[in-house]
Amino acid sequence: MAYSLDKIAVDELFSKWGEDYLIYGPTLIKNTGRLSDTDSVRYDEVKSIDDLELNLKSDYSFKDVILPISEVLFYYNEDGMMVPKQKHNGAIIFLRSCDLHALDRLDQMFMENGKPDFYYTRLRENLKFVLIPCSKSFENCFCVSMNSNVTKNYDLTIEEINGEYVFESKDEYFTKFFSGSKELDYTVPYVKENDIKVEHVEKINNLAITKSEMWREYDSRCIACGRCTLVCPTCTCWTMQDIHYGDNQKAGERRRVQASCMVDNFDRVAGGHVYREKNGDRMRYKALHKISDHRERYGVDMCIGCGRCDDICPEYISFSTILNKIAKESE
Amino acid sequence: MDVNTKKLKKNAFRVTKRRGYTASRIRIPGGRLDAKYLSMIQEIADTYGEGVVNITARQGFEVPGIRFEDMDKVNVLLQPIIEGLGINQPNPEGTGYLSSGTRNIAACVGNKVCPMANFDTTEFAKDIEKAVFPNDLHFKVALTGCPNDCQKVRMHDFGIMGMTLPQFHADRCISCGACEKVCRRKVVQAISMKNFRPVRDNETCLGCGECVIACPNFAWQRSEKKYFRLTIMGRTGKKNPRLGQDWIKWIDHDSIIKIIMNTYDYVEEYIDRSAPGGKEHIGYIIDRTGFKEFEKWALKDVTLPSIAEVRTPIYWSGVHYKKQFDY
Amino acid sequence: MITNEYLPFSSKVLKVTKHTPMEHTYTMEFAGAKDVVPGQFFELSLPKYGEAPISVSGIGENSVDLTVRSIGVVTDELFKYEAGRHLYIRGPYGNGFIADDYKDSELLVIAGGTGVSPVKAIIDYFGNHNDEVKSMSIITGFKSKDDQLFREDFKRWGKQMNVTLTFDRGDETKENIGLVTKYIPSVKVNNFDDAKAIVVGPPIMMKFAVKGLIERGYKEENIWISHERRMSCGLGKCGHCRVNSTYICLDGPVFNYTVGKDLID
Ligand SMILES: Cc1cc2nc3c(=O)[nH]c(=O)nc-3n(C[C@H](O)[C@H](O)[C@H](O)COP(=O)(O)OP(=O)(O)OC[C@H]3O[C@@H](n4cnc5c(N)ncnc54)[C@H](O)[C@@H]3O)c2cc1C
Ligand code: SF4
Ligand code: SF4
Ligand code: FES
Repeated sequence: MAYSLDKIAVDELFSKWGEDYLIYGPTLIKNTGRLSDTDSVRYDEVKSIDDLELNLKSDYSFKDVILPISEVLFYYNEDGMMVPKQKHNGAIIFLRSCDLHALDRLDQMFMENGKPDFYYTRLRENLKFVLIPCSKSFENCFCVSMNSNVTKNYDLTIEEINGEYVFESKDEYFTKFFSGSKELDYTVPYVKENDIKVEHVEKINNLAITKSEMWREYDSRCIACGRCTLVCPTCTCWTMQDIHYGDNQKAGERRRVQASCMVDNFDRVAGGHVYREKNGDRMRYKALHKISDHRERYGVDMCIGCGRCDDICPEYISFSTILNKIAKESE
Repeated sequence: MDVNTKKLKKNAFRVTKRRGYTASRIRIPGGRLDAKYLSMIQEIADTYGEGVVNITARQGFEVPGIRFEDMDKVNVLLQPIIEGLGINQPNPEGTGYLSSGTRNIAACVGNKVCPMANFDTTEFAKDIEKAVFPNDLHFKVALTGCPNDCQKVRMHDFGIMGMTLPQFHADRCISCGACEKVCRRKVVQAISMKNFRPVRDNETCLGCGECVIACPNFAWQRSEKKYFRLTIMGRTGKKNPRLGQDWIKWIDHDSIIKIIMNTYDYVEEYIDRSAPGGKEHIGYIIDRTGFKEFEKWALKDVTLPSIAEVRTPIYWSGVHYKKQFDY
Repeated sequence: MITNEYLPFSSKVLKVTKHTPMEHTYTMEFAGAKDVVPGQFFELSLPKYGEAPISVSGIGENSVDLTVRSIGVVTDELFKYEAGRHLYIRGPYGNGFIADDYKDSELLVIAGGTGVSPVKAIIDYFGNHNDEVKSMSIITGFKSKDDQLFREDFKRWGKQMNVTLTFDRGDETKENIGLVTKYIPSVKVNNFDDAKAIVVGPPIMMKFAVKGLIERGYKEENIWISHERRMSCGLGKCGHCRVNSTYICLDGPVFNYTVGKDLID
């Protein structure tokens, strides 16, 4: 059932939801872009509909909410270890269709790859997802090619239409707040076509693709900064860090921190050996993981086609172009 | 031919090599203008000049080959340019520029185009222009987006370099070391890694923002406020050219304008009226009065940001042409 | 409630065996030792310093051996520990060498340097259960006599199996000098259908040893190797150890060569 509410009514809802959940969504933060006098759209807590950016693609994804960039596993001192409390006991997350598909990939990594992950699982519980439908494609998106343009896995949808907010609820918790609200006929829109299309390859010949000359172009073009993986809603790698607090040598914390296979040291082992010295080889490692490597394990591509990697790359390297090159090389 | 050269100079024309001819000097604060003005400048050059335009070192245009008797007509054609670029004009319309002593406020391309720039140099240049013009004292002011100093502001009486005060968001840092590396390799090594995270030494930091640009995860972000490094009393010339020295680090927009305005008062008070052309570089005046006296005047009623660092007194050396011959 | 696999548990150092100044074996108290498989690994976990994956080099009643080369932050810190102190470990992780895979074979184990530790427990197993294999040979190499590990164990193995011990450099009149690959041609094999081999060591040594074995007539599916990669978790979560669709920590570190050969970093 769909309902239409004005801004004041929506803000009232936000404050009621806020009593039960933390609310996270994309927010436009003025003048916080990398370059001066530019803005950025990132995930943060939202208290009012004004905080929520419904029209732009977020630069970074929702993943930080359940996979914090830096997360303390435990504090230690002479007496032992203490696991910190979780950041939230439940959250409402505003996201897009592709992001909801990305969530499946995160679940695969943290709940199916080996035993379920304690820290992920506890933040993953009790989440509600509010879909921000896309009526048209953003730049660099190729969700249609990656089959992530449509989703049914939401609890609620929100769309701004002529200054009013239209909601469709599939979840009891949300539905109860709409009793008495104006009802209307509504179909959730979705993207039917992107400018960018990516060709799928059923079976990739790893050996042939690895030997391909196509990667050499990226040895010099890519600067191995890692932005592409950090903005990616399906990249999950992290590194363990132990630190001690300066004033007390015996107390400190062990934390895990997001890592990037594009960045130096990701694969460095004791003695200094590095498995992928060249940036082009890192690109291949990343690219194949995003498609065939993950598909071999979980039956779906990891990449969901949000194009955030293309949006952010300072060297204008396009990942969808790389995927199409792989398809061509595999012919 | 009877021409008052003092008057025409003040009206932004100049005495040129070719007898009987002058050049019109058009100021472009901040070095940026709508392209439509180019055709107006072209019209002046084609109609009254010799169809040629010089781009000056200070980002103005100079149209040479104009006959002295055409100056009034040129001033009429200059009117839409003067207006369009927002140049103060207390004198009647169509009579050109009221002064030329304080030179065009020059600026690098700034953050409208350059990714490294920490502010909109043209906008700030226009703010300064609004405050100082038509003051006729010999002041040179320039702005540059970052300490790369593409505008060479250290060659000016007042050099303004854009700064940002990097804000560290520890919970976003992924320990990649990009900030440490860029600062070490490209700047001053103000960042060191401790416990997997960067620590910035505020004293060493230039505020150039390279760490913010390098950080892949927005762990370093720009400060909400914009700051500047103010260098003073750089100059060229035939006596003692020298580089402007750092005076105030982490200064703000309004304080800079106030300091420049205060300096006009100071120069009015102490200038040597008998100097050739009645014109003296401010630096020579400071050499005479002592830095402390200048500072007293310049900082009058100025409230600097709490983080501002003032270096005082300042010493300059530079090239001493005379001394070199003494050797 | 899901268990927190990241919390290490305390374990007592029962014994420290110093093979060389750089390589010590830590015998660690571990109640679950009987379920540990040779070739599996533990995360040695020293809060403040970090963690390091270390292979099981021996399995006792209530203990496991970890043979460690001191090479960096965590391992250097470990070397300050003496018997009687407690430290933290977690594990065991990975698949290990499954004894059944090698039963009734003519088994050859080739190992170099610290590569001997992950295979030591499987050598011990078949040394003690000689009847479960048709024959048992090992070729092991170290840099020099001074770098040799497990000297006491070699004495015992010498009685239980065919042992070839070689050094990269040393006195040719007193000991075997040369790489392990040099001795592959002289291994006695009756029937290549039964001949199985395990190869563990530095990547370059594994590459040439496997090549030598195949040239000799060993079948690819009868060769096993053990891989090391950068690891942060040992639990299939951090992503560091992934190669293609394989997670070394979960699916390995032991691979049949038919699988292992296709892993491209
Ligand atoms: C499955 C497996 C089994 C191993 N078995 C043994 C063994 O039996 N004996 C032995 O001495 N060594 C073994 N290693 C290698 C050992 O893990 C490294 O030497 C050790 O991690 C070095 O840690 P460090 O902190 O002392 O060195 P540093 O060089 O200071 O390491 C710093 C950090 O780099 C990472 N790192 C470096 N090298 C490795 C590596 N090879 N694997 C994973 N992470 C690494 C770790 O996160 C470590 O905290 C094994 C490695 C693997 C993957
Ligand atoms: S592809 Fe672009 S964003 Fe990714 S690591 Fe290379 S330069 Fe950085
Ligand atoms: S560049 Fe950013 S993420 Fe990398 S170490 Fe510096 S602050 Fe941390
Ligand atoms: S070691 Fe973390 S995934 Fe294998």
